[in-house]
Amino acid sequence: MPTSMFFDVLIVGIMVGAIYTLVTIGYSMVYGMLKLMNFAHGDVYIFGTLLCYTLLTKYQLNPLLAILLAALSGGTLASLVEFFAYRRLRAAQHRMISMITALGAAYVIQNNSERTWSSQVLPFPSLFPAHQVYVFGHEVSVAPLITLTVAVLFIIVFNLFLKRNKIGKAILCVSQDMPTSSLMGIPINKIITVVYFLGGVLGVIGGILYSTSYNAISLGMGFRGTIIAFTAAVIGGIGSMSGTLIGGMILGITENLVSVYISSSYRDSITFLILIIILLFKPTGVMGSVEQDKL
Amino acid sequence: MKKRLIAHAAAVITAIGLPFVLVDDPYLLSITNFIIIYSILCLGLNLILGYAGLLSLGHAAFYGLGGYATAILMTRYGFAFLPSLVISGFLALVFGFILGLPTRKVRGDYFCLLTLAFGEIFRLVTQAWIGFTGGAMGIVGIPIPQVFGWEIKTELDFYFLGIALLGFTYVTLLMLTESKFGRAFVAIREDELAASVMGINTPIYKILTFCIGSFYAGLAGSYLAVYQTTVTPSNFRLEESCLMIIMVIVGGMGRLEATFPGVAMMAIAIEFFRPIAEYRLLLIGMIMILVLLFRPQGLLGASAFKD
Repeated sequence: MPTSMFFDVLIVGIMVGAIYTLVTIGYSMVYGMLKLMNFAHGDVYIFGTLLCYTLLTKYQLNPLLAILLAALSGGTLASLVEFFAYRRLRAAQHRMISMITALGAAYVIQNNSERTWSSQVLPFPSLFPAHQVYVFGHEVSVAPLITLTVAVLFIIVFNLFLKRNKIGKAILCVSQDMPTSSLMGIPINKIITVVYFLGGVLGVIGGILYSTSYNAISLGMGFRGTIIAFTAAVIGGIGSMSGTLIGGMILGITENLVSVYISSSYRDSITFLILIIILLFKPTGVMGSVEQDKL
Repeated sequence: MKKRLIAHAAAVITAIGLPFVLVDDPYLLSITNFIIIYSILCLGLNLILGYAGLLSLGHAAFYGLGGYATAILMTRYGFAFLPSLVISGFLALVFGFILGLPTRKVRGDYFCLLTLAFGEIFRLVTQAWIGFTGGAMGIVGIPIPQVFGWEIKTELDFYFLGIALLGFTYVTLLMLTESKFGRAFVAIREDELAASVMGINTPIYKILTFCIGSFYAGLAGSYLAVYQTTVTPSNFRLEESCLMIIMVIVGGMGRLEATFPGVAMMAIAIEFFRPIAEYRLLLIGMIMILVLLFRPQGLLGASAFKD
């Protein structure tokens, strides 16, 4: 049944897209606000996910509690990295310099995770039931649907937080114009810490959702996560929330369609090729606006 | 000017004298050769990154293009080393030109993504196209190179070949950056819009720098192919591109001489910490953070950079 298979692939694609969006949100916010390529992002979220793995398998913790603890520690780690490796360089002559300290921080976290968990692929437990349901007459597994729902819920809640909450509004302010918001009395340093924290939390949740749907977690997914977040953020338009969603979805869906219908060994090449084509026609990303040069 | 002349003379004497100190130790010579390869790569990258301000995450792909071109030409088509070297360089140059063309429209980090995508596509294609590139196993058995009848076999021979290539790279780049072109590059880096108003054709200069930087990466790849006698996709990963960027920034962007301390420091750190492999990345990461926290302009960087 080719149509049913297409439907399945599409659902998995949308699910992966939603997860990528979660992972990208934190990256894209930091990127839009500080113009910093946070190379440590992937290693932070993989640290949280690995922590969740240990809490679930070794300590048999309640899944909700484990996820909460992992997400909080991921967020804390992200803000610590900001404090130690980036803050002093915010006024540096060139933003590429903090990019390299970000890479340094990524190496440090990666090394610690490797010593604790090794770099092998570990079996992450399934958190959601595995049975099937019928949607529009098609048989569909339940797990991807739940994963998708959870991911989308988080995206919606986060968006509401940005639009309605005072801190959320302050975040939007700072990412639009840092000097002016500082003049308006917004504590820039605190807001940036919050942004890193939330980015880490959402990243860890994305990582857990991804690992539980593929029943696998490995250290190598960290660097890949960074690259995916960078790609999704740029393709959607740097710093744009709706752009992040579109970028994540484009990546997730194309990846799955390509690997099923064309070739799984050329999956990433074709995904990147599509990215190049998008960039050639829309040089500032799908939702990005053109920045005017000023003298 | 006089100070620089002395520095260059000292560098030449050290380069020729160094092997007589290291001659008994093939291990030290192999580290030196590694430093030479990365110096060639990073000099080219410093031109792209430090002079044109283009962040390229795909430099390893040009390095790989050179490596694979030499490997395929020498093993399958019986080419000699020198023609392969030249073809490798120009192949990288042509690809650099093609990838540089979009700089007219695609700017800043969007261009960075373009180079990242190119690098990844290159690595994935070399992995998947088993018939042409040998897949993940790569190409093995690249013959011993001969230059005008001189067979290059030992580490020492490779050292002299590498120094010759490095000398060529450094001198040509020095001439380039000190010419009218070089001053145009600096003007573009400091303020692109102002430079274009002054009548500098900024798009062409950017494409040119990208081509030229890629050309040297192709040469380095060709040297790597004959030096290792194999090339595999894992030689040209994204991590390699990142390492080159680290070396350039730790050394200091926008100054050619600054490339050497950056490369040497990172290469020596990588080798020095090899016995304690467990903590290697941790220590290297710490070094990178500490150096840049205390010297944001890099070890030898001096120019006032404008973002």
